[in-house]
Formats: sequence, C-alpha cells, structure tokens
Amino acid sequence: KPWPAPAQQPTAPGAGTELPAGYVGAETCKGCHADQFERFEHTKMGRLFLKQPRNMRERLACESCHGPGQKHVEAGGGRGVGGMITFAKNDPTPVAKRNEMCTTCHSKGPHLLWKGSAHEARDVACTNCHKVMEDVSPRHSLAKATEIETCGTCHLQKRAATMRSSHMPLREGKMTCTSCHNPHGTVTASLLKENGLNETCYACHAEKRGPFLWTHAPVPENCSNCHDPHGSNHENMLKTAKPRLCQSCHILGPHGSYPDGRGDTGTLRFVMGRQCLNCHANIHGSNHPSGKFFTR
Amino acid sequence: AQTRVGGMNVEGSVEAGGQFFLSDGPKNKERAKFEEYRDIEAGPFLQNLQLRFFTSDEGYSAEFLGSKWGRQDQEFSLGAGRTGLWKFEFDWDQTPHALSTTARTSLHEVSPGVWVLPPIQSLTDFNGQATSHELHDVAVRWDTGRLRFTLTPTPDLELNAQYTRIRKEGNRPFGMNFGTGSGTNFLELLQPIEQTVHDLRLGGTLARERWQLVFGYTLSVFQNDLNRVRFDNPCFQAPIGGSAAFGCIAGESRTAANNVVPARGQSSLPPDNMAHTFNIGGGVNLPLRTRLTANGAYSLVLQNDAFLPFTINPSIAGDPDLRLPQKSLNGNVQTINLSLQATSRPLPLPLTLSAKYRLYDLTDRSDNFTFGNYVLGDRPVVTGGVLTPSGTRAGGAAIVAGRQSFTRHNADLDARYQIVQPVAVTLGGGWEQWNRGPLREVSETDEYFAKAAVDVTPFDWLLARLTYKPSFRRDSDYNRNILSGGVPTSQIFDGRKFDEAERDRQRVDLLLQFTPADTLSVTPTAGWRHDDYIRSAFGIKWETGWSAGLDVGWTPFERLTFSAGYIHELVDRDLRSRGASPNLSSNVNADWLSNMTDTYDTFHAGGKAALIPKVLDWTFGANYATSFGSIETRNPTANVPGNPANTVVPNNAQAKRMPDFDDQLVRLETALRYHFAKSWTASLSYAFEQFQKNDWRTDNLTPFLPQLAGTNGFIWLGNDLRNYTAHIAGVTLAYTFK
Repeated sequence: KPWPAPAQQPTAPGAGTELPAGYVGAETCKGCHADQFERFEHTKMGRLFLKQPRNMRERLACESCHGPGQKHVEAGGGRGVGGMITFAKNDPTPVAKRNEMCTTCHSKGPHLLWKGSAHEARDVACTNCHKVMEDVSPRHSLAKATEIETCGTCHLQKRAATMRSSHMPLREGKMTCTSCHNPHGTVTASLLKENGLNETCYACHAEKRGPFLWTHAPVPENCSNCHDPHGSNHENMLKTAKPRLCQSCHILGPHGSYPDGRGDTGTLRFVMGRQCLNCHANIHGSNHPSGKFFTR
Repeated sequence: AQTRVGGMNVEGSVEAGGQFFLSDGPKNKERAKFEEYRDIEAGPFLQNLQLRFFTSDEGYSAEFLGSKWGRQDQEFSLGAGRTGLWKFEFDWDQTPHALSTTARTSLHEVSPGVWVLPPIQSLTDFNGQATSHELHDVAVRWDTGRLRFTLTPTPDLELNAQYTRIRKEGNRPFGMNFGTGSGTNFLELLQPIEQTVHDLRLGGTLARERWQLVFGYTLSVFQNDLNRVRFDNPCFQAPIGGSAAFGCIAGESRTAANNVVPARGQSSLPPDNMAHTFNIGGGVNLPLRTRLTANGAYSLVLQNDAFLPFTINPSIAGDPDLRLPQKSLNGNVQTINLSLQATSRPLPLPLTLSAKYRLYDLTDRSDNFTFGNYVLGDRPVVTGGVLTPSGTRAGGAAIVAGRQSFTRHNADLDARYQIVQPVAVTLGGGWEQWNRGPLREVSETDEYFAKAAVDVTPFDWLLARLTYKPSFRRDSDYNRNILSGGVPTSQIFDGRKFDEAERDRQRVDLLLQFTPADTLSVTPTAGWRHDDYIRSAFGIKWETGWSAGLDVGWTPFERLTFSAGYIHELVDRDLRSRGASPNLSSNVNADWLSNMTDTYDTFHAGGKAALIPKVLDWTFGANYATSFGSIETRNPTANVPGNPANTVVPNNAQAKRMPDFDDQLVRLETALRYHFAKSWTASLSYAFEQFQKNDWRTDNLTPFLPQLAGTNGFIWLGNDLRNYTAHIAGVTLAYTFK
C-alpha cells in the first residue's frame, strides 16, 4: 500500500469479528432494502461503512444509525417496527436522539459547537438538511441539490435576496452559504465561520482590513453598518441609497448636508454617479497623510 | 459501463456541446450586467466533466471535476484520498466581475494607475466628447486556487492544512477631487487592481467521547502591487480666461492669480497588511447532561507601508509644515475573542438551559500621529496651528490621526421547556455592551434583549416556529463634539449616529411548514422588524422592515415534481437632517426630512417531468425579481418642496426632487433531455434573460456633464449597467459510465 496505516487496515463486515448481540449485519438489511442499499453503497458514507470500516461502529453499517435490527427482522419488518430509527418526518424518535446518531461520529471540526447552537436549540434535525442514503448533492450529502436550496427551505428571505441586482455570486454558483456561515454552530450569533463578522469579510476582502492612518470609525466595528451581504438594490450591496446612507450619520460636516437632487446642477457631484464616493473614494480608510476625509 | 484503467476502476460522466444566441444577443455595451459574474459566449463549451478512479475495495480513490473550460469563469478540482485516512484536494476557480462596458475618458494610462490628459484646445476636448476613447472592460477577475490536505490517522483525530491564494486583477472606477474645500472639480477614472490574498490555515481536532479539542493557526497576507493612482487635473488645462466656460471655477485653472492649482493629483491605494490568528477551543460533557464549550482566539494585524507625500503639487509641496514624524504607520491591531457556552439538561424533564458569554476586544496599538498641516485635493494647505519642534501644535488644534479601539461583551441566558410533546417554549434574555474609545460619540452602550420562542408540532405534517425578540439600547452619554483629527466634528445638537444611538427594537419571525403528504410541502413565512431611535432628533429616526412569502413543493406523481415560491419585502426608513453649514447649525428653517423605501418582489418556479420514463425528461425554471426604491424629501416648515421662490428655507436647504429607481430581472429556462442509449443523453435547452433598470443617477451620465451650467468640471466615466435581453439556446451530449 502506498500509505501504510496499521490503525486503518479495513476489516470487511463479519470478517473474523462477531457483531454485537441484537445486530444482524448489512447483508441482512440488503435482503429487503435492496434499492436503498444499492444507492447507499455509492455514497461517501456507504463506501466507508460497507467497504472500509475503521471500527466496530462503522462496521455495523446500516445499524450504526438505524439501530440494531434483530427485533425488526424477527417481527417481519415494517416502518419503525422493532424500534428502528427511520429518520422520517413521522419518526416518533425525538430529534435530539436522532441527531445523536450523527453527532456521535460527527463531533469534530465544524461540528464541535453543534450543541447549544441556534439550529440545535430549535430541534432542527440533521436530516432536515442532509441526506446520506443517496447522493442528491455533489458535496456534503445535502438534502437538496445545492446549499441555497437546502438553506432556503427555511430562510426564504435570504434565498430571495440573492436574486437582487446587487449581489455576491451565489446564484452564479461561485459562492455558497457556507462560504461565510457554518450552520453547525460557531462562536458568533449569525453562525459565521470566522471569529467575527468583519473577519469573515476580510477573509476575501483583505484590502479593507487596514489598519489605516485614517480610520472610518464604523468600518472596523461592523461591515454590515453599511452593507447587506445577502443582496440589495443599491450598488455594492449597500443597505440604503447614497447619499442618504452617508447623511444618516453626517448631518453637518465641512460642506453641510443638503437635500440635493435632480436638476440641482451645482451639486450634481453629490448625487450622481457614486455620489459621496465621487470624492471620498477611500471610504473604508486611507493610508495617505492627506486622507483625513478619505479623498486621497 | 464502468471501465478499468491501470488496475483502477473508472466511473464518471462528461457533458459538452455548444450554445448560441437567438437574435443578436447582448451588445458590447450591454454585457456588463449580462456577464456580471460569468462568461457566456456563443460556441462550444464543456458543461461538466467528472472522473472517479477507485480500487475495487474503495480503499483508494481519485476524482477530477471540471466545467466551463476555456471560459473566464472556468473551474475545476482534483481530489485523491485513502478512504477514511487522508484526503488531498485542489480547487481552481475563476470569477470575473464586470463593472462596466460603457466607460469613456480623454486621459491615457501611460503606466499602471498613471493617467495623463493630452493638451486640450476646446470645450469638446475638455469634456471628452471629441477626444475620449472607450474603456471597454472595466472589470476585476478573481482567480482562486486552494490546496487542502486532511489526515485522519484515527477516527477521533483530524489534522488539516489549507492554503488559498486569491489573485485579483483588473480595474474599477475611482474618483479624485481637486482644489479647494470639498473639491471644486473632480475626475472619475480607473483604479488598477493588482492584489493578492494568501491564506494559510493549519489546524486539528481531537474528539473523544467525553471531550473534544480544536486548535488552529491562520496566516492571512494581503499584497497590493500598486500603492497609488495619479490623475491629471482637467481644470488645470483650462485655457487663459476660459476656465469658467469649461465649467471650472476661474480660481481653479492655471490662470489663477494664486497659481497653486494642482496639475495632477495622487491618491493612495490599500496598503499591504498581514494577520496572524491563533485559535484554541474545546468541549467537554459534564454530569447532569451538561456540556461546556470554550473558544479563545488572538489575532495580530500588522501594516507598515511607507506613506505617500502629502501632495505632488510642486507649488505647495515645499511647505515646511508638510512633514510627518515618521515614514509609516507601524500599524498594529490586536483582537481577543473569548467565547464560553454551557448547555444543560439537569432534570429528568424536557428542560434545556443554556448560557453564553462572549468577549470581543479590538485594540489598535498603531502609532498615534500628531503632525503638521495636510492638503485637501492637492490644493489648499490645511493648517493645524504652528508645529513646534516637539511635533505638537501651538496656536491651533492639533491634527491627530487617532487610534480607535473597542470592546464588546455579549451574554445570553435561555431556557427551553417542552410543555407537552408537540409544544416547546423558549424564554431568555441577553445583554450586549460596547465600550468605545474617546474618538466616538458614545463611550458606552448597553443593550438588553428578551427572547420568546414557541415551536409547535401538533401533527407530523405541521411545524410552526414563532420568535419574538425585543431589545433596548441605551447609551452613557452622547458627545457631539468629539475630536476628529484634532478638530471638533461640530455635529448638530441632538444628532445621533444610528450605530451608536439609543434604540428600541421589536422583531417577530414566523415560519410554518405544512407537509400533509410526503409529496407536498407548503411553507409560509413572515418577518417584521421595527427600530425606533428614540432620542435621535436628527439622523435616522426609525426603520421598519417586513417580509412575507410562501414556498410550495409538490410531487403529484413520481414522474412530475414542481416547486414555486414568492416573497415580498419592504424596508422603510425616516431621516431628519439640517441643510446648513456648521456656522448655521441653529437655523431650524434649514431642516429637511427624507423617507427612503426599498421594495422587493421575488418569484421562482421550477419543475421536472419524465415525459417518457427513463427516455425523455423535461425541466423548466423561472425567476422574476424586481425592486423599487424611492426617496421622498421635504422641508417641515411651510414650504413647497423644491420651490426656488421660497424665502424661509435657505436655498441650499430646500428639498430637491429625487426620482425613483427600479430594476427587474427575468430568467426563464427549459430543457429536454433524451436518454437515447444506456449511457448517452442528448439535451436541447433554451434560456431567456432580461434585465431592465431605471436610475437617473447613472442613466444620465452621458458620460460627461461639465457642459451643464455650474457643474464645476465634474467628469465621470459614464459607466452604467445597461439593460439587456438575451435568448440563449444550447445543445449538449452527455456520456455516463458507472
């Protein structure tokens, strides 16, 4: 083998190892559930459990998630018969117990903060978002073909926002919800992947990180003071139209705050094109000695 | 038709074909929006390629994926691994971002970021109507490469390393003003983008049954190949006596008696920076069904690029007060992020208690600058008093580039109790405190939250979630005369900035999910939020937003699936301001009110039908998204808005008309897929796309406006996102071997 791994040498189901009492083995399940078995064995989890199990739990295959099948078999089968966990919507098994079947193994990395997370606290089942019995999505065993569809099942407004004229490339398939969020739980209230909102934005927009000689105070505190990253009808995903966005805070200032508009040709530079940013181009911060007002 | 290559099994699929535009397709000037984040051209294309090599026992496998090869938005990935032990992945993605295909300018870029104006003789030379050339593609392309290696030597230990490189190349519109005050004339040109972001992450997780540990290090480096842009000042070239005719103020041309008008200006671009982040966290299961998790992170951000000079205007660059105490910022920002969370089910009851605390502290330890004069628009020297040898100011306010730090605390407590099997109630509260430095108006705010949530599942076909979350933010004080660069900001009395202002917030969210059968799901949703800035006599006074929508998924029979959804959203804000310069801040007749609303309607539908099972499939999809924005402005005193005859309201404070703006996107697509052999599929597709917008702020940039009276030599690029209509047809052939 190109990569020797004694701890990893696979043991085929039943190959010299007895199954625990009450378990019947995957081949027995296949006898009645041939279609599901055929689809499952082509999934990432199916290949691991059925062909490369690393321990007894994985070797149990179907029964490692659905529970021991002996009573189910002896009773002649049937949905839920013999105390099997079906993971279906009408499964009487409490969501917390169903999720435990997943988190017993999936407790590392991004799943570390699942307990107490926003989704766990509201009894969202792992199987609301994931489907492991067949490959529906290219990655992450999602219940729907894409992340936007999966998350959009509940977050309808966020999914709709991706269709707005000013948006990040989600609907073009260049980003996904998990580019910024970890739905399994993080240290932030919005389940952001990094340690804070700005850190999440800086991961790609590192030029905004600074520090700059002249700092625009709201910038390092919260990018969403001015931007709505899910989509907007204003350029650069701004939350409201310029110049009113700027005038929300800058009421007077060196050149006043006037209700300029169309036809007021003397002040068109304040309301046309990029409005305030026509002159204050370095609005996120300036490292220029004369950049006090972000014009250099 | 799975095959074997070199002792490995191979399975996969490939789909390729050609696409073409029915009718002409979007013209060049219309392609900015059409190809905003993509590359769609007539001709052959690779829709999808997937190859998976694997040993018979699935011990080893390798996978190769790709699509849109040869296009600006191509992507592919390569993965290989030993099942359950290690995995190597490489991803490559190109994402174009088209910003404009309609920009024009008279200037020429002689080197990256240096734009020179040829001699001008007439107004048409000046405003570019006669001399400008087109800047066809104002765009930035992101090329992202990612290497990732994951090792799982035992099922409870995972180690990973990841390196990501994002290269951004292109340009984007950038404005520069020249002259006195807030800029008597300005020029819009292009800022070159030649930037690279390196991101290296090393980490691991050890997960035992009772406890888990996660640790990691992240290095993020930003490199900017360019540190400045330089533009010629068109007004400087206004011929003798002709500056006014050119729309420039006479004093802003080279003919001015006080001949310090800048021939050109120079602006800075984002400096290089570097961030180190160390992270450690863990979780432990304690008695009484209690779990405790903790996470700590420390981050150090450094930036030390050399400063540019105050100005490149030789007439004033020699000012002895235009000197800095050092050549760079020595930027140093440190953040500490601590998070503690406890979740417990201590009683033999369906009761869950949870507590969370989070500290986020940002300390800017960069050097604090007190320096001499500075320059506005490369023309006027702004004096900050007399510079003493010690670098402090005498006889005037010091000019200080202060450093801003803040600390945020969050704490939450809540209890969730399942009253009966179908009903769970969550009650809780929270607190958030911001401590800001003296450079912001409010030194401390405390916000208190309450939370009530009910989850009801009376039947296995119904789920209802209702959440109500009010919060109340109060400040310690509001200092309207904070120092900004050593100068009082002179904000109007009772003016409040919305991110610091006292606020009462009410928020309600409702989600229903009906699944009367496995084949039908109906999901209505609604949300309402109201922010009341209770002490903001000026600034944002209130903001209300609500949305309501419905999603339906239906599979009437195995051969047909259908889904559709619609959501409406409205955001409404009210702003009060005073249109007066600081020395007139007491002029109540200069007050003006503005109401801003944004309305969104989004509809989608899609479906798939097996017209002939396993032989002929039909898919269709439809999207319609429209938005409408309005800004209504008026003077509260007895005025006729915009009436120039009004003598009560100062002329420049009279509310001017802001026309509405709107946009619509329609996309319809359908395809027939014919499975004419076991492994072969042919498809015929058609897509219709149409984008339309009306926005007077950019539609009227023709692209130049200096010929308008009193516009003081404003010269834009005239970049605009044009409407488009596209009919796209495609034919592909796919082969699958599994």
